[in-house]
Amino acid sequence: MRTESYTDGQPMNRAKIMVVDDDPDLRHALSLRLRANNYDTVNVCDGYSALAMAQKEHPHLIILDLGLPAGDGFAVLKHLQEYPALSAIPVIVLTARDPETSEKRTLESGAIAFFQKPADNEELLSVIRASLQPGWGGGLLS
Amino acid sequence: MNNDNGHNHVLLIEDNPGDADLVRLRFVESKSAVQVNCVPRLSDALACLDVETPSLVLLDLNLPDSHGAETFRRILQKAPNVPVVILSGQDDEALATKAVHMGVQDYLVKGDITSKQLERALRYAVERQALLRTLETTRKQQLEFKNQFLSHVSHELRTPLTCIHQYVTLLLDGLAGAMAPEQTDYLKTVLKSMNQLHAMIRDLLEATRADSGKLRIEPRCINIGELIQQAVAMMRPTGAEKRVSVEAGPDQTIPLVYADPDRTLEVLINLIDNGIKFTPPEGSVVVKASMVETDPTAVYLAVSDSGRGIPPESLPQVFERLYQDPNAVDGNRTGLGLGLYIAKEIVALQGGRMWVASQPGSGSTFSFTVPLYSLPKLLLPVITHQGCLREAIVLVRVELTPLSKSLRGSWKEICQRCLDLLRQCIYVDKDLVLPAMGTSGPVETFFVVASTDMESVSIMMDRIREQLGALPKLKASGTLLVTAEAIPVAPAADPRPLEQQVWGVADYVTEIIQQGLWSKANFTEKENRENAH
Repeated sequence: MRTESYTDGQPMNRAKIMVVDDDPDLRHALSLRLRANNYDTVNVCDGYSALAMAQKEHPHLIILDLGLPAGDGFAVLKHLQEYPALSAIPVIVLTARDPETSEKRTLESGAIAFFQKPADNEELLSVIRASLQPGWGGGLLS
Repeated sequence: MNNDNGHNHVLLIEDNPGDADLVRLRFVESKSAVQVNCVPRLSDALACLDVETPSLVLLDLNLPDSHGAETFRRILQKAPNVPVVILSGQDDEALATKAVHMGVQDYLVKGDITSKQLERALRYAVERQALLRTLETTRKQQLEFKNQFLSHVSHELRTPLTCIHQYVTLLLDGLAGAMAPEQTDYLKTVLKSMNQLHAMIRDLLEATRADSGKLRIEPRCINIGELIQQAVAMMRPTGAEKRVSVEAGPDQTIPLVYADPDRTLEVLINLIDNGIKFTPPEGSVVVKASMVETDPTAVYLAVSDSGRGIPPESLPQVFERLYQDPNAVDGNRTGLGLGLYIAKEIVALQGGRMWVASQPGSGSTFSFTVPLYSLPKLLLPVITHQGCLREAIVLVRVELTPLSKSLRGSWKEICQRCLDLLRQCIYVDKDLVLPAMGTSGPVETFFVVASTDMESVSIMMDRIREQLGALPKLKASGTLLVTAEAIPVAPAADPRPLEQQVWGVADYVTEIIQQGLWSKANFTEKENRENAH
């Protein structure tokens, strides 16, 4: 299982975000952006690793691509729902797919937001911030 | 002349028994094994076509219940895939040409034709029709393939584009170390070009959707003036870069329209952007909305620029796909040439039309119409019964408030599902869920006009609370408030004609909705803020 973890040696009171994307360059860039905004990140590249890592790390939020090797994003969403310990983690889908065909299904499968690539950084960050607020089951303080 | 069953089955539509026998005789003479089913009237023929598909229709034009072009028009409409040959007593070349243009395979004149010729004409008609069908199937397959291909390509292009976007913005935001001013400038140019590329990919996909009829619009009842202000405010900075002013025309009272706010904004932005592109510095782009006396059903929107205009010979082409101004000289990248095509498609989907007028040298005006929102028209079938206004009418308001303002896309989706559910909570012939109101802000409000009194409406309100309250997504991200207000009606004592009474109710409802006269004092005991937490 290939994972990349960034904690910056900070105390672990920051929110931890898991980035699931099969493009290593994009994972790296997203991680840099998230760390610059005071989040810790865990990166994985496929659906199988996403589930294993979610169980191990219990991230506060997941950014999920839909087109993935070893179980696509919908499979990941479905399996996350099946684990009580993981079903409350907010999932933001970030994909190149067309919202016209994928947004509805994504939200019905349990994701809290859908972004098409390339997404606006500020919009993505504001949804991440909102999702990590209390009252969003599974958020940082719950 | 073989159909699927291996039979030659001709449906002969002929009211003259003599002529019908003659045709049968011709078939016998030509030794063709044809089974002829003869009917005298068009209505009989249409009924036959309901039951079975012949290998060919042989048609006389003047029948007891239909004449001339109407006869073949109805047959072609009924059985578009069956070859149709006309066998007429009239030698009418103009009618024959018209028939062939509309899809008839041949026009034969009675008495002109031998058995051999008839047999051959019919055989070729069947062959031609089969060929046409194959061509049509292939064309559809190719169109579908093209759409899939474009959809796939635009998806694949997004992945590298996303990477470029991420790293350029990382650099620009200083997340990989400080940048020299010159480096920042260059990267901004990269970002700008990347955004253009992004817009082209979006247009490509939109045009593909428009081609295949998959462009979706969600019309709402909106204030077009607000939309114009929004578009103008969004495009002012782009205009300012070129020292082109972008203004909204004088504010007039424009009634509400029925249109998709996001799509209409897209059309306005597209037209303003075009205007700016083709207008020299110190010029202007003006957006106006107006009513036209001769057309009370629509609002007319016009985007005028003071640019160089469009030569008359190019006017018919500007809305065509991939059209690009051949005289673009100022280094403006024109894009894919899909913007106006998409804009026109959106306007047409909303039930409007779009056109352009231009004076070379002094500018162009792109105009389009948006249908007026007519509440009385919507209300009439619901709030009247047997020619009278209903005894009691109630306005129910359903307000959805998000807990967080930033979950835009998902919140919109949730509201759409609430609206769908809401439509299931009403009695279709007595109640009406009004089209969503206003440009979709964070707080979404839906209205239901119900033909009932305040006491009975509580059943519906409970049902709404139950159905919408059960939505987990709504529970997690917003609150629901359902309230009701009686609309004063007195059908027995009202001397006005029904139409005016309906107008009265519509005005009352509009006033409440539009001017926010929904005062706390009017709330009923039923009011109940349901915080789903």
